[in-house]
Amino acid sequence: MRDRRTTAILSVLLAASLAAITGPTPAYAAEPNQVDGLTVTQGDGYATLAWTPVDGATDYQIERTPVAADNSATGPAVITGVWRPNRQINNSSPTFADAGFNPGTRFQWRVRARFGTTAQPYSEPVSGTTSAPWGEPNVPGENLRTQWETTLAAQYTSDVEEYAYTKAIDDLSDRVRVTEIGKTALGRPINMFVIGYPTPPATPEAVAATSPLMVNCNVHGNEPGDREGCLIMARKLAFSNDARTIDLLSHTTVLIVPTINGDGRAANTRGNSTGQDLNRDYSLIRQPETFSLVQMLRDYRPIAGYDGHEFGNSSAGDLPMLPPRHQNVAQSIFDESQHMIEGHMYTQGAKDGWWPCPYGCNGGGNVGLSEETILRNTLGLKNVVNSLLELRSSGGTTRPDEGNTANNRRRKTYSAMWTFNQFLDYHRANLKEITTARADAITFQVSNTGRIVFRGSRPIPAHPAPHPGEAPPPLDAPRDDLILDNVPCAYKLTEEQYNGERTDGPAGQRTTVAQRLAAHGHKVVKVADGYLVPLAQPERGLIPLLLDGQGVEKLVDGERVYPTVTGKHNGQLVVSGVTCLRDATVTGPVRVRAGGTLIATGSSITGPVDASGAAGVFLTDTAVDGPVRIAQTSGPVVVVDAKVTGPVEVSGNRGEAPLVAANTVTGPLQCSGNTQAPVNIGLSNSVEGPKSDQCASL
Amino acid sequence: MAALAGAALSLVLTGTACSGAGAERPAAAGAPAAVAVTGPLCDLLPTGSEPGNPAALAGQPAEAALQWLPVLTTFEAAVRASELADDLHGGSGVTILAPTDDAFAAKFSEDNLDQLFITDKEKLRGLLRDHLVAGSLSLSDMVAAGGVTTLAGTKLTVTGGGASARLADQADTVCADYRAADARIHIINRVLGNLPTTGGPGGHRAH
Repeated sequence: MRDRRTTAILSVLLAASLAAITGPTPAYAAEPNQVDGLTVTQGDGYATLAWTPVDGATDYQIERTPVAADNSATGPAVITGVWRPNRQINNSSPTFADAGFNPGTRFQWRVRARFGTTAQPYSEPVSGTTSAPWGEPNVPGENLRTQWETTLAAQYTSDVEEYAYTKAIDDLSDRVRVTEIGKTALGRPINMFVIGYPTPPATPEAVAATSPLMVNCNVHGNEPGDREGCLIMARKLAFSNDARTIDLLSHTTVLIVPTINGDGRAANTRGNSTGQDLNRDYSLIRQPETFSLVQMLRDYRPIAGYDGHEFGNSSAGDLPMLPPRHQNVAQSIFDESQHMIEGHMYTQGAKDGWWPCPYGCNGGGNVGLSEETILRNTLGLKNVVNSLLELRSSGGTTRPDEGNTANNRRRKTYSAMWTFNQFLDYHRANLKEITTARADAITFQVSNTGRIVFRGSRPIPAHPAPHPGEAPPPLDAPRDDLILDNVPCAYKLTEEQYNGERTDGPAGQRTTVAQRLAAHGHKVVKVADGYLVPLAQPERGLIPLLLDGQGVEKLVDGERVYPTVTGKHNGQLVVSGVTCLRDATVTGPVRVRAGGTLIATGSSITGPVDASGAAGVFLTDTAVDGPVRIAQTSGPVVVVDAKVTGPVEVSGNRGEAPLVAANTVTGPLQCSGNTQAPVNIGLSNSVEGPKSDQCASL
Repeated sequence: MAALAGAALSLVLTGTACSGAGAERPAAAGAPAAVAVTGPLCDLLPTGSEPGNPAALAGQPAEAALQWLPVLTTFEAAVRASELADDLHGGSGVTILAPTDDAFAAKFSEDNLDQLFITDKEKLRGLLRDHLVAGSLSLSDMVAAGGVTTLAGTKLTVTGGGASARLADQADTVCADYRAADARIHIINRVLGNLPTTGGPGGHRAH
């Protein structure tokens, strides 16, 4: 009882109206096996029914009757749902989210238990007016409505209606900036809401510093339900002054991409205009849509995400979800994503009456498990805590089979909105856990330790009965021939592989491997005979999937470059070509000459380390017992999770922003004259001495 | 369960017309002259004075009317993809036998549909012509004739009567007699024509 009373009470006003609708305690003697204690709580587009369980009940039927203001029936009573034990994790407090109705209308609800097929007496009725679509009709901004809302869900919001609605929110709300992150193959804009309070940070880097979260609303053009929920949620975030909204937006930035696949949405196709399933393209980014999103991820760096879909599987629950399962995803990201789903969504679902469940819910996840081309896995490989979300579009054991009607559309869209709002709340409440998971993941990835799996998932054990009780997602373990135990230090690409013209992607819009790796944010070193992509970087788990000949859906067949120094090395180490240290012990200084490349992981170096004019320097998970100086590097500089006893100088480097993160430095950290100021992507350094100049805030 | 749900949906939608957003509006009585649509699915579709109700569609071009019928998103998109709109404006009008989204999902896998919409447009046009009949025929016209010939040249028997009719002994009308400009739209529950079946359970791709 305590749990469900804390649910969805958004304001004193609502609480007051709740008291009015839940009604007085009946003054009659209950019949045997009659459901007692029914309460109805109004949410955004749904009503949560809760009741006291009846001993011996095998399931419950939920009945809804349209009523007038005086509670007289205006139509016949209808069974709108069935509660079954596997809907929720705690059967002691059954709840059911009734949805599909047009929000704002008035109903009466009753619930009855069944023993097998034998119906027991109905509860006393509870009536209430459902919550109207959010936003006062007379307040500018708040009174915006989507095409889907104004047509009572008979039509989905078209592309031009989306742009108009989006622009109106942008114009009327200081909290919102709508930015075009790219264009579709046919030239439609791909917009993104950037929402913060009182205003969103001005630049992508400034947004990234707020540990933002992202909702990707519509990748498959024929699955539009999540997108409508996103558009409505964006309006509330933009204009609502309730405490929760202000609090959420004061602590982070919300990124909402309503329609990445505008061409497919307009044509009602799953794929984009070329027929490419975009959710099989997030690693390869052959298409302009996926390329744009991945570039956005690089620049805005969301730390958590949800990816919205629909699923026509009648054996599923309301809201099938799945974390990034690919085995190259760091354990911490998988665990935190699982916690978001099973720890948070299952718990909240049990309070509000929705039924989140593992993908398929009943063994329905036949494909789409470990492909890194799927956003869920791509995000995980980018160290983003996330989940896929399906809105069950078919009927099933607990919901009526409604076809593609307004009721079905509303149930799906409002269940998506519930999930995305829960996601926002989860992010708010677990920011520390999420950022810790991300930091652990990045330090794990840059260390380049452990095997590489080209395809294969982490197991998801069945949640303890009763929920969901039936069948967890398939195991999907990696095949032996898709496991690489002897992991290289880097991949080397030829000029042709790196900059050559490609044949994949739409004609006229094709991109090179160089452009795609840049969009991912992968660090590449120009070396004498080609291009080197070291694995000692944050997306280590993704790189081999793109560049190894064994990759199932690879970009190119790159050359594996193995470590050159692995054991003890006594005396000075001079680096002129490419030197890769793994688990090495260097007793003496390391000197990187002009044009040389040093990659060191899991090593210890007496020091000093001095690189002047190097092509690239990667120093991760490594201890240096002396000063480190990295100056005038022409290419990437990555110093992450290093322990330096002594000073660190990063100066005059001419490539992209040096990555200096999660290091422990006993001396000063001094950075100056770098063409781009060093960054720590949210992983601060522990520095005993002063941090100065360009590194002052790292 | 389905029948119960159907009744529920119609009630919900009827309720909307009166009390949406708290406005006081006359009920269905205020709607334009009634257009009688018939069939078990009609209750699930916009009714009364709701946007997309049958009377509101009367007189609209057929391709515009199709956009208001929520269960026809696949068919409506197919008409656009096939660039067949001209066929909907023939001299003596047209009869549109429009399969529901559920019917399309049972017939074609998602991949197959994308293929038809994007690359096999000629095949798609053939498929659509198997769902179009020259002349604007009401349900009772078709039943009285006992059969119709599609623009693809296929002869379809029409049997039954009352609220529903059976076409080619495989498809039933589920909501018939929508009127559009020079057109009748009959919603049916099976895809006609002779393309191979690729859909059904599992046809919806995961993720």
